[in-house]
Order: sequence, then C-alpha cells, then structure tokens
Amino acid sequence: MGAFLIKDIMLLLRDRSELLILLAMPFLLIAILGFSLRGIFSGDLEALEMDIALVSQEDEAQAVASLQSDIEEMGLPPEEKQALKQAAESASPQTMLVSLLEDESLSELVTIERMSRAEAQESLDEETVDAVITLPQGFTEGSLRNMLFGESASGELELLVADLSSPQTDVLKSILNEFVRTVNFEGSISRLSGQQSAAEVSGGIETITARQPITSFQYYTIGMAVMFVLFVGSTIAGQANLEQKQMVFDRIRLSNRPPLLYLSSKAIAAAAIVTVQLTLLFGLSALLFRTFAADSWAFWLGIAIISIVLALSVGCLAALMVAITLRLESDAVPAIFSGGIISLMAFVGGSFMPLDGMPEMLRTIGNWTPNGAALSAYFSWLLEPELGQLTGPLLRIAVVAVIFLLLALAIFPRKGGAA
Amino acid sequence: MLETQQLTKKFKDTIAVDDVSLVLRQGESVGLLGPNGAGKSTAIAMISTLMKPSSGDVKLNGKSVLKKPGEMRRVLGVVPQKIALYEELSAYENLKFFGRLYGLSGNKLEQRIDYVLELVGLADRKKELVKNYSGGMQRRVNLAAAMMHEPEVLIMDEPTVGIDPQSRNHLLETIRKLNQDEGMTVLYTSHYMEEVEKLCDRVYIMDHGKVIAEGTKEELKAILSDQETVLIDFDQNYPELFTKLSEIEGVQQATAEEHSLKLIIPKGTRLLAALFHEAERYGAQVVNVNVQTPTLEDVFLRLTGRKLRD
Repeated sequence: MGAFLIKDIMLLLRDRSELLILLAMPFLLIAILGFSLRGIFSGDLEALEMDIALVSQEDEAQAVASLQSDIEEMGLPPEEKQALKQAAESASPQTMLVSLLEDESLSELVTIERMSRAEAQESLDEETVDAVITLPQGFTEGSLRNMLFGESASGELELLVADLSSPQTDVLKSILNEFVRTVNFEGSISRLSGQQSAAEVSGGIETITARQPITSFQYYTIGMAVMFVLFVGSTIAGQANLEQKQMVFDRIRLSNRPPLLYLSSKAIAAAAIVTVQLTLLFGLSALLFRTFAADSWAFWLGIAIISIVLALSVGCLAALMVAITLRLESDAVPAIFSGGIISLMAFVGGSFMPLDGMPEMLRTIGNWTPNGAALSAYFSWLLEPELGQLTGPLLRIAVVAVIFLLLALAIFPRKGGAA
Repeated sequence: MLETQQLTKKFKDTIAVDDVSLVLRQGESVGLLGPNGAGKSTAIAMISTLMKPSSGDVKLNGKSVLKKPGEMRRVLGVVPQKIALYEELSAYENLKFFGRLYGLSGNKLEQRIDYVLELVGLADRKKELVKNYSGGMQRRVNLAAAMMHEPEVLIMDEPTVGIDPQSRNHLLETIRKLNQDEGMTVLYTSHYMEEVEKLCDRVYIMDHGKVIAEGTKEELKAILSDQETVLIDFDQNYPELFTKLSEIEGVQQATAEEHSLKLIIPKGTRLLAALFHEAERYGAQVVNVNVQTPTLEDVFLRLTGRKLRD
C-alpha cells in the first residue's frame, strides 16, 4: 500500500498541469471572486454600509389619534374598541420602520437621519446619503386601516436611491420588502386575534441578516475548495487509465498483489491528496486573505473533521471512477467528469452562488452531492460551531461515499478480464 | 517446464490465436516468429496469465495456471511491447516501486536495483526521468523492471521495436547472457528474423493466429534444403521482366524489390541461361547474381507466400 501511495503522490507532484488545476486555479478563483463579489455577501459589512435619509410628510401622532377617534365612533363592544385603539398606537408602521432600521442587527449597516424632503433631495444629489425613504401623507393611517380592518387603502413607501444597481440598494430593498411583508403579516394576526405583537418584527428581520457572518472570501474559499477537490477524482482515474494504456497496470497485476489493493490504494491516495489540498487552500486563504477569524483549536478541529469526511468521500468517488475507467478501458470517464459533471455538481452544490432562490429539487440534489453537503457543513460550522449542526451534512456525505464505494467494488474488474 | 495446449482466443468474429501448442523447456531460448497481427502478443498475454483463453490450457510444470495464476506470475518476467513504466519517475524510482510490489525492501531491494541496472547498462543514469531517456534506454529499463523479482522464465514481446542499432545490440546481448550464462528460459517474440536466428535455439512460426511451422533453426531451414535462393540485381527496375522471370519453369517463389529479384528454385535448376536471355530481350543489365543458403525469412516466405514485415 505504501509503495502505491508514494508512487501516486510523486506522480502528482511532477505533473504541473494537474497541480495547477488542483491548487493554483482554486486559489486564483478565491482571490478573484472574493474581491470582486465582496459587496453581495452581507458578512462584508464595510462594502454595504449606507446612509439613509428618512422623510416623514405626516404627523404620525395625529394620524393615530384620527384613527382612534374613528374607532371610537364605530358600533363595536367597548373591549374591542379599546383593543383596536391600543393596537393602532403600538403597531404604528412608521415607528416599526424606524425601530427596524435602528435595530442593533442593522446598526452596523445603516445610519438613519431624519430630514425634510428638500434636505433629503439635496443630500442625495450631493451623494452624502445613499437613499431616501419617504413616508407620504396618509401612510400611517392607510397602513393601519389595512392592518386592522383589511381595507385596501394601504400606505406606500417611496424609495429614492443614488445608484439603482448597487448592492446597497439590493439590501435596502430586501429590508423594506421584508418590512412590508411583516406589516401585512402583523395585520393578519391583529385581525384574527384582535391584538398585535410588535415583538414579532425582529423575527422577520433576522431572515435578512442570517448570512451576515459569511464573507465573500469565506464563501468562495469553501465553495472553490469543495469544487476543486472533485478534480482529484478525475486526476486519479486519468492516472489509472494511463497505467492501463501503458500496460503498467498489467505489470502490477503480474506482481500478484490483490487487485483490490490497487483500488483501495487509489482511494487512499485521492483522500490524502484532498486532505493536503484542503489544508493548503484553507491555510493560504486564512493567511493571505484573513478569511477565518476564528483561531481556536476547536474551530479548526471542526474544519478538520469536515475536511477528512469530505476527503474520504472523494476517495470513494475516485475509486468508482477508477473502476469504471478500467472496466471500459477508456479515458472518457475522467474526461467527461472533469469537463462537465464537476461544474454541474459545483453549481447544484452552491459553489458558485447561494442556492436560496433556486428550486427546491435542485437544492435537495445539491445537498446530496459530497461538495454540496460539505459546503453546508462548513457554513454551519462557521455560523455556529456546534458538532450537532454537522450531523446531517456529514451523514449525507458518508451515505454517498458508501454508495460510491459499493458501486466501485461491483464494477472493478478484479481479474482485469484475464485469467 | 511451460507449455500451452491448443490455446485459442476469439474476439467476436476474429480468431486471434487458433489452436496454438507450444513447449518451453528449462534453460531454452525459444523464438516466436511472425508478422504483425499474427497473434503473437495475444498468445503471450494468455501465457502470461493476463488474458483468459477462449479454450485450451497453459501449464507450468504440468499444472494448469488458468485458475491459479499465482505460481506462474512468480516465475515469469514479462517484457511487454509497450514501455510499461512511469515516464515521470526515474529508472531507479520505477524499479523501486516494482521491486516493492514483489515484496523486496531494504538492502535486498537496493542490491537488486543495482544488479538489474548494471545488467542493462544504465547504472550511471538511474536518477534520470524515464521520459528523458532514448527509446532504446527505455526498453532497457523495461527489461530491468521485469527482472526485479529474479524470474525463471523471461517472456519478451517484440522488445526491440523502434530502437537504435546500438541499444538493440545491447539488449540482444543482455538476453543472450541471461539465457546462456544464467540459464534463464526465454520466450522471445519478434518479426525480426535475424534477432530470432541470433538468440533462439528453437523457433515457432506463427501466421494468422496459427503455428505454421516449428523446430530448430536447422530443422526449419531444412524445409528449403532442396531449394536455393537466387538474388539477382539489375541496373534498374523492370517490372515486365521480373514477371517473365517469375514464370520460368521451376521457380517456386519470386519477390521483386526495387532493382532486385529474389527467386526460390529447386537445387540444380538451370536458371542462368534463361535469365540472361530474357534480360537481353528486355534490354536489362544484370549487375549481380548471388546464390544464397536459405534463411528463416525465406522459410517464412515459402510457408506463407509473404514477407515477415508485410
């Protein structure tokens, strides 16, 4: 086994084009994607910081009082009137929006300043603010009527931005959409139960800020790493094909070593190469791009556990590809795998971009790819380093690895078609 | 020591090896001669236990090796036609890897590597990558790798294809030494008649998957003992004259090659008068006439009607 392992690693070290694919290319992509897409990952807060002018064209208190007076004149039981008046006061959408934007979770991102319409327009023109949110006359009353009575006269927010295509605009639109959704949701709850709960608002906002800790460098270091480890499978299968073509495989068979020793050595060599590859990619990214702030042993132990499970899974994948390659006596398998299947697996596994908006089926498939499951495990660990979080994705990787291994054992030509 | 019995290999509609029975006695050097596509490599693959025959058997010391190839593989050193080495490793690294596969380690492994490198004359260049070697040097390492486990039988499949004369001579001399000085049994396949003539005690001639003749070199040449080969050189090519001469009564085989014509005729045939008569009719000048003793090439030509390298 040692002889095989040493030989495979020596061959890889002397193959510059393979080294380029396995190490240099992912590292280059981490650098390019990490820098260029810094803005779209909410973990990169500096790139998303924004100054917002808030313009209110109405008197909120007066609008609430006016609505309460209308409620008083309704022919409702006194307790219900009281509940609705209280809801109108505490669920004022203007207050909710300001609370949301000034919330602790967004305070690093957003700076709010109240201005008049003219001041706000001037600041936007001078680019001292990035956006202006205007609450028009009738916004509070319209929104409350929509919330409490389901009337269609809902208030509309007006958003003016300096740059429509900037990532800040996207984030702000997301926040406001979430706010509108929350207001509508709150309204439904209020109508059903006759009471409101402003505390629910923060729950809605959290969905926007859930990815905050992941930076673009973290995303693409992990995304590219889990993608490029798959190339080890095709490298090892390509090597097996060359051994078969050049009859070195026959020479190995003539040495009387058990055929499965050859297959298992390929799997172990692939796993060893993946471990080294991941160590180098994560290590260099941490050193050069300061990708991982956590420097505790526990953090790196978690990363190591995921990496080892992923490496073993790629080892089993490599064994399967070697078995098919030797069975078909063709280099088609490594060529097709590296030429197309890896890109597909990387896409559904989320190496290029988050799959949040993708169809459920695609995400399910991605979660069952070794790379997708590993990506998920790494991100879970980054967000919350608890071993329990890793059980699901690591189990999926292990199941897929066992399937690969069983298929490899079934397909591998133990006698090479010979005596 | 080693024998095949009615060995046959079929690939779909083709019969690559057809009912071939060979015998290799201990210490013998046996040639398997035949043109490209004769089925030599397929026969070698089956004897080496690398390919399962469609029918027939391969025996080592009277025991079939088809189901239990282990013992056969232990005594065999196989030198394939291709360079079965890792080009990105040095000769030393290749030999170390293959030696370790055979269970060698430590001093024994190093000593064996030194011995086989010395044998093939590459001890001083052992650290160079195989891909940087000439074709001849690569073939020498190919032989060295097959020798790592001290085999008793060396099976070589066209080991000199595409190499320079110097490396070829070195390789042939090495094989001769292994056979004659160390008593190693050798099965040598080639389509180079002169190599087989130089190295082998006995020869099997194969064509279209079958053994068409066997025996010692002398026995095979005796097939042509009542015949002689006449090689006639002309000043230029005369296709019509060559056709006319090949139709002379008694000519059994005629082969034209540029300005020359080779005729196999029964001993005592009165050829010269007819030759010069026809040459004069066609205005051709005879440059040289040479009567030769038959070679294995001539035997092959006589048996198959074509040349070994066709």
